[in-house]
Amino acid sequence: MSLPARVAALAVAFLAVVAGVVFVAFHIIGEQPPVENYAPYAKNGAVDITMMTTPQTTSSNKPDWVSYFIKNPATGQFEHTTYFGVPANTQVNVTILGYDGCTPLRNPLWGRVAGVVGDVEHVGYFNKGKTSPVQAVSTFDSWADCSVQHTFAIPGLGLNVPVASPPTVDENNNLCTESPCAGSDDASGNAPHSIVTFSFRTPKAGGTFRWQCFVPCGGGYVDGNGGPMATPGWMMGQMEVEA
Amino acid sequence: MAAEASVPSAGTPKDGVRPGRNDARWLLLLWIVLSVIGCLLVALVWGPHLPPGRASEQAASQQTDITVLGTLATPVVIGVLLYFGWALAFWRQQPGDETDAAPIHGNTKVQATWIIGTSAIVLSLAVYGTIELIAPAGAGSGQGPQPVFRNGLPPAASLTSWSPNSNNLLQVQVIGQQWAWTYRYPQFGGFETTQLVLPLDQPVQFNVTSLDVIHSFWAYTLGVKADANPGVNNVAYTTPKTAGYFQVRCAELCGIWHGSMYDTGTVMSDSDFLAWTKATKAKMASVTKILPPYALTYDPTVIPAGKINQELGLTSAGGGFYNPADPEQP
Repeated sequence: MSLPARVAALAVAFLAVVAGVVFVAFHIIGEQPPVENYAPYAKNGAVDITMMTTPQTTSSNKPDWVSYFIKNPATGQFEHTTYFGVPANTQVNVTILGYDGCTPLRNPLWGRVAGVVGDVEHVGYFNKGKTSPVQAVSTFDSWADCSVQHTFAIPGLGLNVPVASPPTVDENNNLCTESPCAGSDDASGNAPHSIVTFSFRTPKAGGTFRWQCFVPCGGGYVDGNGGPMATPGWMMGQMEVEA
Repeated sequence: MAAEASVPSAGTPKDGVRPGRNDARWLLLLWIVLSVIGCLLVALVWGPHLPPGRASEQAASQQTDITVLGTLATPVVIGVLLYFGWALAFWRQQPGDETDAAPIHGNTKVQATWIIGTSAIVLSLAVYGTIELIAPAGAGSGQGPQPVFRNGLPPAASLTSWSPNSNNLLQVQVIGQQWAWTYRYPQFGGFETTQLVLPLDQPVQFNVTSLDVIHSFWAYTLGVKADANPGVNNVAYTTPKTAGYFQVRCAELCGIWHGSMYDTGTVMSDSDFLAWTKATKAKMASVTKILPPYALTYDPTVIPAGKINQELGLTSAGGGFYNPADPEQP
């Protein structure tokens, strides 16, 4: 082989390796869930977001993982993602439909509602075919009656919201079998076990804030903290604040 | 052999030995001059800007240690680089010069100087390092539950109260968890918070532990770094000397959000600190009463005997918190 041919072959091989590394870095390691952008839907300094917790993710390749879903503001359909965008300096009104069962918190500190308007969340339960009146709650004792299924926490904003659950010993709800959980018909027993609402304000400056669940809900992993707890798109995600 | 092939001329070897300047004297002179300049620059110009700064007694001690070590290392570095540069500049082989260098024989003076000099440097630094390890009460490093070095610090603290300038160390428990730090103040009712606040000029004892994996509590401008291990209490000390903010980071790769596991702590006056503890104690009262009793370590797999245990038939030894059928459970 001539010298130019050798050089050309070496250059091609080098570029192929570089391209492979770049592909792996950006398309496999760097792949992230889609972003539900709520920014265009803000009105009068506020925006409404709806999420859902599910006991499994049958729509993914990890059907036994618990997960969050977020409603697509354009289609109204729940999408399997935990990434969303909101405007800066805006009140975000969040509704979480809780379809999962309870798990005790690792640290009871995360049973306290913090960083939201009024430092309370409003909870309505559906249990034993009945819907309870909405009540304001500031602290959950998940070790006393296992009253929390997950949490929605943004550490960078000091925000922590336990997603309430009817107490396990009293609960008579069936876990939905397909995700996202579609039922909202109380009569069929497919209603969310709890509906949690709360509001918080986004910072005045833009930025990216991670959020996560602090309930060790990764069943099958060490201390319940692997799998969905350690994978973006399931029990953790990002809030992108647009300035 | 090479000498036979050389052409005698000015500046070329004669009888196998290169003539020329007195390299040893020039090297020695230059080394002394450059070392003096370098040591002064390192000690007086660079030293005050070396990490971790002087925001606490421990940080200041560490900065002094790094400056001393850097100053002592300067002549060594200059000597090596000077010799290297000198050899490149003056001892390179000239065109047509194929002679060997002068044969090297043992030199007792050089050997003795080298052995004595290096031994003196290493041993003196060992003594200095040992003294520095003991004198500033551990210099902020985690030393397990019973630190060996705590010179100058008060004895064991009361866990029921604390007041400034008392013979009582302020106790701050640092709890690591994927992926957040929380802080517990046992001398103020045991409240737990996500805020780290310290009083100015008061000695603090950090009790560092973890609820899950290994983290590392690193308040680097305070000169504190202690591993947070589950089931272990790791003690470190600091005495903040500068009011304001400081950064806390996790220094142990602990999972996907390890890079986001940081906090901003605050050092404030005694009166402001006491006001903060009072307000936070009241604010956190609802959750403080459901926290487990203050302890140096926590086992989050143990649910205290209560309603959930009784009605779900769980034991308080961790049964049922995680599914025992899960193969990856510890």
